[in-house]
Amino acid sequence: MGGVTAILKKELADHFTSYRFLFLFALIAMVSLITAYMAGVNISTQLVDVAKPRFVFLMLFTSSGIGFSFVQFVAFFGPLIGLILGFDTINRERNEGTLSKLLSQPIYRDSIINGKFLAGVAIIAILLTSILLTVAGIGLLMIGVIPGIEEVFRLFIYLIISITYISFWLGAAILFSIIFRNVSTSALAALAAWVFFSFFVSLGANAVANALTTDTTISSSEAQMTRAKIRKAVSLISPMELYSDSTITIVDPMRRTTKSMVQMGWMEQLSITRFSGPLPLGQSILVVFPYITTLIAITFICFGISYAVFMRQEIRSV
Amino acid sequence: MAKSKWNNLKGLIAAAGVAGVIFFLCIPVSARDDGECDENRPDRLITMAAEYPGVEIPMDEEEVRIDLIFHNKGRSDEDVDILITDVPENWKARVKTYQYSVNKIHAPSGEDKTVTFEAEPDKKAAAGKYKFRIEAQTRDGEFKMAQNIFVTVLEKIEGEKESRGVKLTTSYPVLRGPSDGNFEFSMEVESKLDKDAIFDLFGQGPEGWDINFKPAYESKYISSLRLKENQNSTVAVEVKPARKSEEGEFPINVKVSSGDARAEAELTVILTGTYKLEVGTVNDLLSLEAKQGKPANVSVYVKNTGSAANKGIEFMSFKPENWNVEFKPEMIDVVEPGDMKQVEVMITPYEEALVGDYSVTVNVEGEKVTKPVEFRVTVKASSAWAWIGIGVIVLVILSLTALFQKLGRR
Repeated sequence: MGGVTAILKKELADHFTSYRFLFLFALIAMVSLITAYMAGVNISTQLVDVAKPRFVFLMLFTSSGIGFSFVQFVAFFGPLIGLILGFDTINRERNEGTLSKLLSQPIYRDSIINGKFLAGVAIIAILLTSILLTVAGIGLLMIGVIPGIEEVFRLFIYLIISITYISFWLGAAILFSIIFRNVSTSALAALAAWVFFSFFVSLGANAVANALTTDTTISSSEAQMTRAKIRKAVSLISPMELYSDSTITIVDPMRRTTKSMVQMGWMEQLSITRFSGPLPLGQSILVVFPYITTLIAITFICFGISYAVFMRQEIRSV
Repeated sequence: MAKSKWNNLKGLIAAAGVAGVIFFLCIPVSARDDGECDENRPDRLITMAAEYPGVEIPMDEEEVRIDLIFHNKGRSDEDVDILITDVPENWKARVKTYQYSVNKIHAPSGEDKTVTFEAEPDKKAAAGKYKFRIEAQTRDGEFKMAQNIFVTVLEKIEGEKESRGVKLTTSYPVLRGPSDGNFEFSMEVESKLDKDAIFDLFGQGPEGWDINFKPAYESKYISSLRLKENQNSTVAVEVKPARKSEEGEFPINVKVSSGDARAEAELTVILTGTYKLEVGTVNDLLSLEAKQGKPANVSVYVKNTGSAANKGIEFMSFKPENWNVEFKPEMIDVVEPGDMKQVEVMITPYEEALVGDYSVTVNVEGEKVTKPVEFRVTVKASSAWAWIGIGVIVLVILSLTALFQKLGRR
């Protein structure tokens, strides 16, 4: 691991002392805390008619206080953390001429990219963990409900998935910073990717679904089901969709499927509401396991591509 | 009861005895004679007579009472010994006052003394004519008297219930049903009396059975019934067998009476046993796990806890749409009481069923009894995708390592 730890330490030190990190952290922490606070206030009104509420603590993360919940917030704006941390990783060094200086040190070339990526992941992990713990602390103060062991496990898995998800965006940003020599180009490219996957994929999925089904005015359940299936399939291109589907299922034990629309007969409805209990953790994980797998896989692949591109690049001549 | 019998007897006697009428007519005549010619009376004269020397009684009458009249026509008081000399077999007879048995009486001069002759047949007394002889004599043996009394016991006429003044009719005198059921007979009570009367209702059945009377189409219980002259009314007889009645035929005796008027009806209840089923699983577990689209098995036993055989037991399931529930066998021909049969239930969830708990109810429909069993079917996510996913991740990590090795520039 020659040099990886050295790079990692240096990068971490750089991040912690940068204003960029400070602003980012302050912004995200503030929004998260406000969300958590609003959710905490809302929970009591949401639980009014519930006879025996279960998993109240998890509701802190899923109930939407001011328009969106904590989970939704991380799904939308979490990628920004990764992008901001990574968009100038390589090209800044290159532009400032420090990259060739760095390589003249007894450090392997792959140590540089590995160290930079790991430093980003570490920062993301620290950021998310501290925010999650803070929100949990506020929740404990506000609603006074102690989380059960299963709730702790669910939150832990949620944290792992979130770190993976943001790391994917970090990897993408590093890839852009390798490909584009100009810092602002890579920043814009990263931002464009984020906007595309966050907002346009869902719009596009709708358009594709409407185009593929013959008559959009037909509102029979059959046609609606096909449209929902196509929409789902298209929108799964977006990592954001993968992430929000998997985390909402993990954090909300009552959710039994990732499908946005389920056709259910009258008898089936009666039958399933008879014992409408929460899913065990294992089952929740199994339901979204393909999603989690895909998320982890694309993160690795994204980093793998940037690694391959970086290792084959001509550096010293610049 | 005794009083009404006594009244009956009097009625019978009045209808039968012409001699009695003559006797009645004679008494006031001789009494007048006594009063008028007090001085003409002999020194001593005493006679004995039975009020009704010949009577007819029905078979099941409990006792016969006939007044014996001692008539002292003389001018002196007399003491008389009384002896019953002839008593037929199977009968008991005695002479009594209103309270005591009597064998000597004192008859004051010019007065009548009445004692009662009472004869009581026991169960073995058959139909026929029975002769009783009563002898009496004064203390000094001057006057000896004898009186024969003939009691004719009438043959009971089969089939004809003793009913007078009221009639009971039942359209369905025999009912059949399970031992734990209720039976309701409908009876028509028809009054033949020419006045209003309240009729008492009695029912008698095997021990522990509940017999109640209800007005037709009403739910209150009654024990008597008021009927106007020649009116009729429908009464429901509700019979509830004792809790642990065996199978078989049970007679119920229903009586209606008001004074002299009475009627009886014989009803029959045939019990066929109870129909009860017990359904469960061998280990009492009513939950099972299933995978989407894959069948799950559960063994269900059907036990007959009733006292009648249960035939033709079928199975029905109450399940979500698109699910499949099969039974092996599909039908059980017969389960004897106390016997147990096993059925395999195969539950296949829909391929796209959601993960979670579903309720599937199996109805066991036997003869006159239906028993539901509810299963909690937990649909589990298939773990096949998990292995594929893990495989994918391992593959990705392996290729990443290969990439590190190849491009590592070490």
